[in-house]
Amino acid sequence: MTDVRKYLREWAMPHVLCPGCAHGIVLKSFLEAVDQLQLDQDKVAMVAGIGCSSRLAGYADLCTMHGTHGRAPAFATGLKLARPDLDVVVVSGDGDGLAIGGNHLIHAARRNIDITVLLLNNSIYGMTGGQVAPTTPQGAIASTSPGGNSEASFDPCRLLTGAGASFVARVLAATPIEMTKTIVEAMSHPGFAFIEIVGDCPEYFGRYNKAGGGAEMLNFIARQGESVAVPLTSKRFVNHVPAPEPRPGLRTGVLNREIRPVYSGVRGAVSDEA
Amino acid sequence: MSRSDIRIAGTGGQGVITAGRILAEAAIRCGHQATHSQVYGPQSRGGASRSDVVISTGDIGFPLTDRLDLLIALSGEAYLRYLADLADDGRLIVDTGCVPGDGGDPENYPIVDTAREVSGGLLATGVVALGVLRAATGIVEAEALRETVAAKVPPRHRRMNLEALDAGMSLVGVNAL
Amino acid sequence: MAETRLIQGNEACALGAIAAGCRFFGGYPITPSSGIAEQMVRLLPGVGGVFIQMEDEIASLAAVIGASLGGSKAMTATSGPGFSLMQEHIGFAAMAEVPCVIVNVMRGGPSTGLPTSPSQGDVMQARWGTHGDHPAVVLAPSSVGEVHELTVRAFNLAERFRTPVILTYDEVVGHTRESVILPDRVDVVDRPRPDEDPGSFLPKRVTPDGVPPMAAFGDGYRFHVTGLAHDERGFPTQDNAVAGALLTRLHNKIDDHLDEVADVEEYMLDDADVVLFAYGIVGRSAHEAVRRARDRGVRAGLFRPRTLWPFPSGRLAEVTAGVDRVIVAEMNLGQMISEVAGAAAATTEVVGHLRADGKPITPSELLETVLAQGGDRP
Repeated sequence: MTDVRKYLREWAMPHVLCPGCAHGIVLKSFLEAVDQLQLDQDKVAMVAGIGCSSRLAGYADLCTMHGTHGRAPAFATGLKLARPDLDVVVVSGDGDGLAIGGNHLIHAARRNIDITVLLLNNSIYGMTGGQVAPTTPQGAIASTSPGGNSEASFDPCRLLTGAGASFVARVLAATPIEMTKTIVEAMSHPGFAFIEIVGDCPEYFGRYNKAGGGAEMLNFIARQGESVAVPLTSKRFVNHVPAPEPRPGLRTGVLNREIRPVYSGVRGAVSDEA
Repeated sequence: MSRSDIRIAGTGGQGVITAGRILAEAAIRCGHQATHSQVYGPQSRGGASRSDVVISTGDIGFPLTDRLDLLIALSGEAYLRYLADLADDGRLIVDTGCVPGDGGDPENYPIVDTAREVSGGLLATGVVALGVLRAATGIVEAEALRETVAAKVPPRHRRMNLEALDAGMSLVGVNAL
Repeated sequence: MAETRLIQGNEACALGAIAAGCRFFGGYPITPSSGIAEQMVRLLPGVGGVFIQMEDEIASLAAVIGASLGGSKAMTATSGPGFSLMQEHIGFAAMAEVPCVIVNVMRGGPSTGLPTSPSQGDVMQARWGTHGDHPAVVLAPSSVGEVHELTVRAFNLAERFRTPVILTYDEVVGHTRESVILPDRVDVVDRPRPDEDPGSFLPKRVTPDGVPPMAAFGDGYRFHVTGLAHDERGFPTQDNAVAGALLTRLHNKIDDHLDEVADVEEYMLDDADVVLFAYGIVGRSAHEAVRRARDRGVRAGLFRPRTLWPFPSGRLAEVTAGVDRVIVAEMNLGQMISEVAGAAAATTEVVGHLRADGKPITPSELLETVLAQGGDRP
């Protein structure tokens, strides 16, 4: 394991995230991937929207942008087209990326622009205080669904596969080593790469749904995962807490991978290479 | 400074928009200032169509037509619709086919029929109208019009359009100027 | 000597943008601005630039801001409904101080309104459309030639002050073809760049002239960009003093340099009894009306701001001192008229010649108003 502190803005600490939140695990896994890929920090851009997940950009010592709610894929598109020499990574949440920013996300996927999107799915709006999200499971409690969510939720990976994302994966915040490996693959993929990272929000989702603290929730999520690449074993997780029965069908691993033309905008012949 | 406000109006497919642009560009070739405007509607084909051209020997202030010095109406609808925009001393030229039966006797030429003879259709109507306009008003040089027509229409239609321009000029008697 | 050409305002805008160094365009189709995008997609590849049609206007301006952060001069163009959608990122660009140019070709509103008819109904939105206190630089050309000139100026001001600049003109200016001679070359301003080493770089360093040097992503300076209130490091803060100082600086960097931003055409004002205040296409009708009124012995004059915002209050107050009446002619139901009334002397009567039916205000109708308001009215 690398000491990722060299990729952190330690002067920006302490961070704003709650105890037990998985977002810190994601940041560390991402920075591990940057290290494994031996990327030049000056040439990596992290573009975020608004929400808890989007605050991660502020702590990474890279070229970082904290834009507007849901629009990170659009900012990233402009940046990547203007600066093809940069590795551009979007960090987004489930409300940010799938509700207000759903349109930008699917169009970036359709174009197959060469960026990587990390969508941190914690099934709820955290920054604004626990409102229902397009990923909140039916029946779950949120501050704007006090009687249980009556809406169906998105499956982000199926949505993005349908939209044309040429690399689609789901990983669990509970499996950080898998996560780093998958981020390395995604950033190495030519074209649009999407990773749904299933994490927890103990402060709101956990509290409202009596799902326990961070450890309990990650354990629960881990037991939901049925990896298409590597079968999960219980020893990988925090396993000292009894967890509820897993929901079926939360497949993890790389779910779609294809090679198709990479979009680089309408530009002259000289710089037409992807 | 002298300024002329001109409108060529008809129906979609008569080449009215192209004719207006040709007139404005020909005016520039003659050393004048010019503007060209058209009316945009939601439909891309058919319907009423018009081209407005302002030609001036000096700088053009308001770029749209205000009171018309010349109206060329290539359809009955255009005639009825735009007659009110004509200045008191403005000149009206209409296609013979749409001379109203209300007892009026406006200056008219068989512009649409001539276009049909030359091109077999409607598309050259606007260019025939330009020929009429040139011969009737002298506002642009014939040679400048010819050069602009040759430059602006697709090569395969060049000869036909030049014929249409000449045919239009021939419709107007030598004394009309 | 360049040749005389017959081109549309939208075409002149694209040509001006390229001349100013624009190398990125992101947009979404909307009448009557689409002609700009259709020109940019043809022009940009030839100069090493990039074009993209985005999924909506929100995304269009986001992409423009992303490209500008990457170091490109960038623009978008839209009309009415699209301009409403862009407000979110006009605010972001103002707060994060990202240079960019937004063209709004005005059509009749509200909502989808009159898509192919001229209007000047967005001039207050151009000033105040996005939430919060923010500076606004808005330019209003009145002719095809001026569209070219002011598009270049819009880029230069955006780069000079690290701020979004809005260029707004109406459908008539956008669509009408006019004979113009475009300059062979134009003066181009580039954004201030840092000269310190990356280790000591502060992306929002307070400089004497209020405009922090700007590095591009990828050029060796790593920094954070945010729409939250932030400190000199560009990092979010909730410190009220820091947030207040930031907003004050954002305003002052423009207000302290009004001489560089202000731009007014003044015509026959020296002895005028009645002054027409008009901008954009109406400015040309007003110019004509003043000329005709003078022919009839009425001492009329024209005050035409080419920079609408910041509003030229000081100059307007000077030229209207002792003037009996100011007629504000605009294609809306009364927007700039309140600014004029605020700036004019208390003894000056301010009246409106307002029209919001999709028809341009003609010289003839304005002349009638001038004759009725000017001269010997008791």
